[in-house]
Amino acid sequence: MSEIAVKIEDVSKKFRLYHERNQSIKSAIMRGRRSVHEDFWALKDVGFEVPVGSTFGLIGSNGSGKSTLLKCLAKIYYPETGSITYNGKIAALLEVGSGFHPELSGRENIFLNGSILGMSKKEITGKFDEIVDFSGVEQFIDQPVKNYSSGMYVRLGFSVAINVNPDILVVDEVLAVGDTEFQAKCAQKFVDFKNEGRTVILVSHSMESVREMCDSAAWLSHGELIKVGPADETIDAYLRSLPGASAA
Amino acid sequence: MRYLKEVLESRELLANLTLREIRGQYKRTIFGQLWSLVNPLASMLVYTLVFALIIRVQPEAGDPSGLDIFAVWLLCGLLPWTFFSNVVQQGMGSILSNVGLVQKVYFARIVLPLSKVGSVGYNWLFEMGVLVVVLVICGAFVWPWLPLVVVTMVLLAIFAAGLALMLAVANVHFRDTQYFVSIIMQIWMYLTPIIYPISLVATQSDKYGGLFGTTVTILDVYRINPLERFVAVFRQLLYDNRWPDPQDFLLCAIWALAAFTVGLWIFRRSERGLAEAL
Repeated sequence: MSEIAVKIEDVSKKFRLYHERNQSIKSAIMRGRRSVHEDFWALKDVGFEVPVGSTFGLIGSNGSGKSTLLKCLAKIYYPETGSITYNGKIAALLEVGSGFHPELSGRENIFLNGSILGMSKKEITGKFDEIVDFSGVEQFIDQPVKNYSSGMYVRLGFSVAINVNPDILVVDEVLAVGDTEFQAKCAQKFVDFKNEGRTVILVSHSMESVREMCDSAAWLSHGELIKVGPADETIDAYLRSLPGASAA
Repeated sequence: MRYLKEVLESRELLANLTLREIRGQYKRTIFGQLWSLVNPLASMLVYTLVFALIIRVQPEAGDPSGLDIFAVWLLCGLLPWTFFSNVVQQGMGSILSNVGLVQKVYFARIVLPLSKVGSVGYNWLFEMGVLVVVLVICGAFVWPWLPLVVVTMVLLAIFAAGLALMLAVANVHFRDTQYFVSIIMQIWMYLTPIIYPISLVATQSDKYGGLFGTTVTILDVYRINPLERFVAVFRQLLYDNRWPDPQDFLLCAIWALAAFTVGLWIFRRSERGLAEAL
């Protein structure tokens, strides 16, 4: 049994569905209550383990709780019950270019974004050339990012995030950024990650990319864990469950 | 303690966010940083016109500095107030205006309100620097008091940060907070002896005597206002050029620590739920 990078134990996450929500003091007092709501369990007792050095896919239809689980992993949401234990430094990539300031230059934004993602100034300075090189925006690095094309913007954001160098990387479907060439670079970066013994947890709707990149996968449906195991088997099971199951 | 350690570890992020605010603020303006002087200058002109020339408010001359210029006397109180009011109002909105960040990235959320203290404080430092130059030109011997001025500035920043932390959380749950607070701030300013000397209040208070048959006077109640103490200390140091009243100074420190402790406690308790509540 190999080492465990992330251990998810009986995680449940509840949201409130508001029928009436009083976000102003007046209405809260007039109605005599803050809200009328019913509980909605977005995750119900989900538990699995992700081994160190594996690439792990999370699959499932829309609204199955994948993103909620991802946000719990990223410590943005806190589960009601259960626990998540990490073995190493974690970085989550739910959005690229978080906190970019449009008026600041690419250079300034690299430092800003890097520190938001938890890098120290020394680390960023050390990786600066690599980040710029990877993003392919060298020529415009001292221009304000508001003048960037959307592709350049996303590429720069992605380059910073991928260079955080965490032990565990949690990625939402942001892989589909940039042109074919950039995507190939990203795929290569993930392979490097794996070779360095780092763990990647990935959420995707593209079964092809999950099949290609992941060793194992977990399938969520309506907040419950249906199946966890080798990627191919899980994906096949998921695809079979879909109405009109045929193509991937 | 673990929380404090985490906050301490985020100091680089805090510095970077503060820089983002400062650098972004006056980008693409012709006058740049000078704009931060225009606001206090405009209020100074208006208040001087109305209160010194029309209503004829006459604060006592600085003792022992001998200064007797209403505009300068006003600025010694107005600049700290503007800083305080801006920190509270901007810090209060800092979580709401960074929804994207809070919902997508994990970091110690406390850096958002605190970065506002930094960026507003940076402008304030600039304004106070100009004020010191003006004071020196007017003949005040202000140099020996500068270290204490800086200490008082830090205390006021801590006090403002504490309030901003509490209100930032409240504002996420009740969006009324921001509108409510902007009104409170207007009232609060007039309840603080910034544009009129406290001697006017003292005179009225003496005339009225004890409230409801007790020995508590209007002045005593009036002086509960923490900003009154801060303004008093700033004027004693900058305008009068003398040691601040020890009681005033001590109360400033106590208010600052109390507000910050409560603010930190509230913020820490609600920090986890912020991403969901937004």
